[in-house]
Amino acid sequence: MRLFWSIAGVEARKRMSYRADFWLSSFVAFGTELGVAYFIVLAMVPVAGRLGGFSRDGMLLYYVAIILTARIVWSLDLDREISDDIYQGALSRYLLYPVSYGVLKYAAQIGALAPAIVQVILFSACVPFVLGLPEGIRITPATAAMALGAVAVANALHFLVTYPIRLVAFWADNCWSLLWAHRLVATLFGGLLLPLAMFPSWSQPLLNALPFRYMFAFPVDALLGRVTPVEYATGMAIALGWCGVAAVLSAGVWRRGTLQYTGVGM
Amino acid sequence: MIEVERLTKTFTIHQKEPGLKASIRSLFVREKVSKTAVKEVSFEVGEGEIVGVVGANGAGKTTLVKMLAGIIHPTSGDARVLGFRPWERPRAFTRQIALLMGQKAQLWWDLPAADSFLLLREIYQIPEDKFRSSLDYLVSVLGAKDQLTTQVRRLSLGERMKMELIAALLHSPRVVYLDEPTLGLDLTAQRAIRDFLLCYREEHRPAMILTSHYMEDIERLCKRLLIVREGELVFDGPLEKVVQTYADHKVVTAHLHKRPEPVRETPELRAMGQVDACDDVLIKLRVPRPRVAEVAAELLRRYPVADLAIEEVDVGTIIERIIGAPKEADTAQVRP
Repeated sequence: MRLFWSIAGVEARKRMSYRADFWLSSFVAFGTELGVAYFIVLAMVPVAGRLGGFSRDGMLLYYVAIILTARIVWSLDLDREISDDIYQGALSRYLLYPVSYGVLKYAAQIGALAPAIVQVILFSACVPFVLGLPEGIRITPATAAMALGAVAVANALHFLVTYPIRLVAFWADNCWSLLWAHRLVATLFGGLLLPLAMFPSWSQPLLNALPFRYMFAFPVDALLGRVTPVEYATGMAIALGWCGVAAVLSAGVWRRGTLQYTGVGM
Repeated sequence: MIEVERLTKTFTIHQKEPGLKASIRSLFVREKVSKTAVKEVSFEVGEGEIVGVVGANGAGKTTLVKMLAGIIHPTSGDARVLGFRPWERPRAFTRQIALLMGQKAQLWWDLPAADSFLLLREIYQIPEDKFRSSLDYLVSVLGAKDQLTTQVRRLSLGERMKMELIAALLHSPRVVYLDEPTLGLDLTAQRAIRDFLLCYREEHRPAMILTSHYMEDIERLCKRLLIVREGELVFDGPLEKVVQTYADHKVVTAHLHKRPEPVRETPELRAMGQVDACDDVLIKLRVPRPRVAEVAAELLRRYPVADLAIEEVDVGTIIERIIGAPKEADTAQVRP
């Protein structure tokens, strides 16, 4: 664990030293996302009406919460780092270490979250003053704790699900299109684009069974008090189950992939 | 410590003709060719031994080292390093080896080297007192104290290479692979690295495999040499044996007292050996080994010789000739 936190600490120090990037991503990236969400909600939800169980203010809060959650789950730009390591031959040095490459990279991903965590704290502190707490939504210490647990699992789940996709770089020079395809699917079925409650009722069991909900919508639903303790426990169990499946798949792909690895590159 | 038995590595490589048409075609059909980078190579390396591996670009040196470091899997054959199969990468193996690649940075680019060393301490779980003593020793021998707190990307190539060496040796590996460690360095830095490696070998006795294009690296550091040509091991033996095996002649140089007329390349002179130079002060001949004494005596008798030197052909020249020769050339395998 000491090694894990050392790696995370190094990555955090590195990321926090990019001051211009921190403020640009805080205001330009976040500002754009929140601005787009604001106008979508205004267009979709009537002033006094409800959509997917949300009032207009409730829907705004949902989008703010899910955008902040996605920032923590997605980390920054490490999506491409693993496939780049393979493509450029930088993986070689990690293979020499008596430590698992996946663990090293996950530690780096956790460390890379440092600026995002600071941004999320800053924006979260502003939300009550800007939006208030819409009617019918109760955020309590208990729901906040449940959301924190769900976000931690969501982060691991996202890493583990994308890990075998990134390892495709052992066979294909360029697997970024696969990562983009994953991102699009996760955005849609994870509730980032639209609240999952707006999907048809027949699709709900499927959305609950797939891993994407547990990456984004589930932590937000937990925060906004929209899941019962039983639903929360079930959801966490499903998410952890997917983590296990993805870990087994990753191990298999890694084993086959390293047989192919040539260690050449730039 | 290192045992290699008929190790072979074959790569499959895509080929594409230049041009847009070929690019579009390659989206649907790709031509693949197999290239054997290392072919049935066998050798052993013992404790405290530095073995030089030389060969032309693409001869398979780096592929061989990568297999022995566990980075890539062989196509066939076997190898044991410290009793382990390298490509299985058990922790007990990776804790005891190091690989330094001259053309690739292995340190964290954005961090000062000192931070990288702290990370390596955690990665290799080096006890604090051992870490401190190793670091102090390596830093003082390499004279690298002033660069420890500078970001790696801001260091000069020579300074970076010193940091790479420290990083590679911090955990006191028992087997060290050095792939072109002096590549691109100026003469002073090359000498510093060579001196350091000799000093480190004396004190720690690791098994070392060194690949280099610089003959001075090989001559200064290695008593034993492996010559690889097109993936095959064509020579394995002591450095001096290269000369005995491949140089069938010696160079005889006679410095003459100044003469009014230059020496002519007469049939008598050509009968002594191949004439490399002859003028009013010097005669230089390549003479078959069995005839050296006879030719030396003949030169002393016929010419006003002030000084006579009998030398082996430069080992670098011989090696260059071997690695540059076509596969069919007469370079029988030598295994002492």
